[in-house]
Amino acid sequence: MAGYKGSNINPKKFEIGQLKIILALLPLAVFMGIPIVFIVCHAFKPMDELFAFPPQILVHKPTLDNFVKLFKASADSNIPMSRYVFNSVIVTGSVVLLSILFSTMAGFALSKLRFKGKYALLEINNTALMFVSVAVMIPRYLVIDALGMKDTYFAHILPLLAMPVGLFLVKQFIDQIPDALLDAAYMDGASDFKIYRSIIIPLIKPAIATTAILAFQQVWVNVESSNFYINDESMKTLAFYLNTLANQNSNVAGQGIQAAGILIQFIPNLAIFLILRKSFMNTMAHSGIK
Amino acid sequence: MNNKRKTKPGQLEKRENAVGYLFILPWLIGLVLLVLWPIVQSFQYSLNKIKLLPQGMAKLYVGFENYSQIFLTDPDFIMGLESYLLETLIAVPVIVAFSLIIAMLLNQKISCRGFFRMIFFLPIIIASGPVMQQLADQEAASIPMMNVTMIEQLLDEYLPHVLAESITSVFSNMITLLWYSGVQILIFLAALQKIDTSLYEAAKMDGGSKWECFWKITLPTIKPMILLNVVYTVIFMSNNEQNALIVLIYDTMLSATGGYGYASAMAWLYSIIESAIVIFFAVLIMGRKDVYERRAKKYQRELRKEKRLERKIRKRGERHERSYAKQKEKQQRKQSKKSA
Repeated sequence: MAGYKGSNINPKKFEIGQLKIILALLPLAVFMGIPIVFIVCHAFKPMDELFAFPPQILVHKPTLDNFVKLFKASADSNIPMSRYVFNSVIVTGSVVLLSILFSTMAGFALSKLRFKGKYALLEINNTALMFVSVAVMIPRYLVIDALGMKDTYFAHILPLLAMPVGLFLVKQFIDQIPDALLDAAYMDGASDFKIYRSIIIPLIKPAIATTAILAFQQVWVNVESSNFYINDESMKTLAFYLNTLANQNSNVAGQGIQAAGILIQFIPNLAIFLILRKSFMNTMAHSGIK
Repeated sequence: MNNKRKTKPGQLEKRENAVGYLFILPWLIGLVLLVLWPIVQSFQYSLNKIKLLPQGMAKLYVGFENYSQIFLTDPDFIMGLESYLLETLIAVPVIVAFSLIIAMLLNQKISCRGFFRMIFFLPIIIASGPVMQQLADQEAASIPMMNVTMIEQLLDEYLPHVLAESITSVFSNMITLLWYSGVQILIFLAALQKIDTSLYEAAKMDGGSKWECFWKITLPTIKPMILLNVVYTVIFMSNNEQNALIVLIYDTMLSATGGYGYASAMAWLYSIIESAIVIFFAVLIMGRKDVYERRAKKYQRELRKEKRLERKIRKRGERHERSYAKQKEKQQRKQSKKSA
């Protein structure tokens, strides 16, 4: 890979030739940045600006009013907010880790190993991708009920684990790894598991990072499981809690609380993104696949 | 010399099978239990009228009546489906082409590349969930400067009304579409970086322009990734919570008139149409083969033909041999009879 040295992906010098590319990218970049700015500013808007029409993106007179209201509302409820945060962290962490593990393992098997029924399974997965998740709500509830997992963390975790999209992405990336690489390892006496661990995993790091982010945000904002499978208030997640807070309060005051809640929910998302950014931007160039 | 084989024939294959199943097992259990089984179940429900009562579900088998009802008496679903189809067919190529362009720009050597990449990947974390919902509520996603009605009038003159309407809706949702393309940009960028740079160097040596390089090297190499992106985009657009049809299905499920069975039928129809769209795009992309692929395929076909011929000849030979052997046996028997 010419042009890549170590981890500094930026060229050292600015050249005139770059100007046209930067000019093309800059306006688009501004559009891309709008939602972030909007979310942050929205949380700090006072009441009259929240309902301004047409909506303003920037805030003129920032206040902490919304946050104060949010904490006041949460102080009134029986269960402390930290409990919801704890639930959310546990659920999200386990879903992200397990779904990465499962989807890379299955992706490796489906892409590189030989066994009977492989193609049928692939087709089944691809068809399952298309299915509307809303429609399987009730049967899923029945399954979870039958397994006795209501009001446990499993009810949060299991429905999201089988993530066909993640498997699909990972499998496509593993397909790109040349068989010769694996054959060489087999010749040197590596077992399947060894190959999975020391060849496949390092090579598809960017795909893993992407899957991790997708899984993370899917779980983090998910209210469905708290809504349907959990009756016990203390087992529900943060996303659900913030949602209800906004709905419980009157519509006008709720807007401010909702804006603040969304910002709070959004910050971990951003943090994960910034942490994983390095891994999916740098490793792509070094994956050694040609 | 000990010629004994240690493994019986077929055993190695079995072992290979076992390893494969072992790797796939945890995912498979989850898939069957929480995805496939509910899907099958929902098909069963779609053939019933279902009422949710306090003591449980009351089912009444009606066959395919739910489906015929959707087509014959329910205007909402068909109309929603129409606009969904048109919008998807227009928006998906736009998103994919846009993300390919962005990825190629981001693949250039420019200063602040890290910063730009970060900005363009950002939509990955906002494109779903409550953030997008709120943006849509606030109507912050439309471009205020653009006069959409004027474009619509202009398009209306030259195109049929339905088509013009969906094109304008794509225009007015342009920013939303940009926000949807985070993952696609990421995938394309990864694919672009994996292209062997020596290919470009060789092409340059032979006097290929950048334009030619793009069509003859870049596009064919990243073709599988284009398909991946198209599939991802279709699925993402159809299954997110802002989609009007999803909302309709959800509402029907909870409403008194529709009920769960009816909603299941809707969901099944919707999924079938979604698959049809994906297959349409897949055929469009993977169906077109370049010269080399065509030649390789032809060669393979010829090879297969030859093999078939060989097998035929061998079989015929075997048959002949057998019949010959039989004849010989008969003769021998005759002779032995005679001699006896």
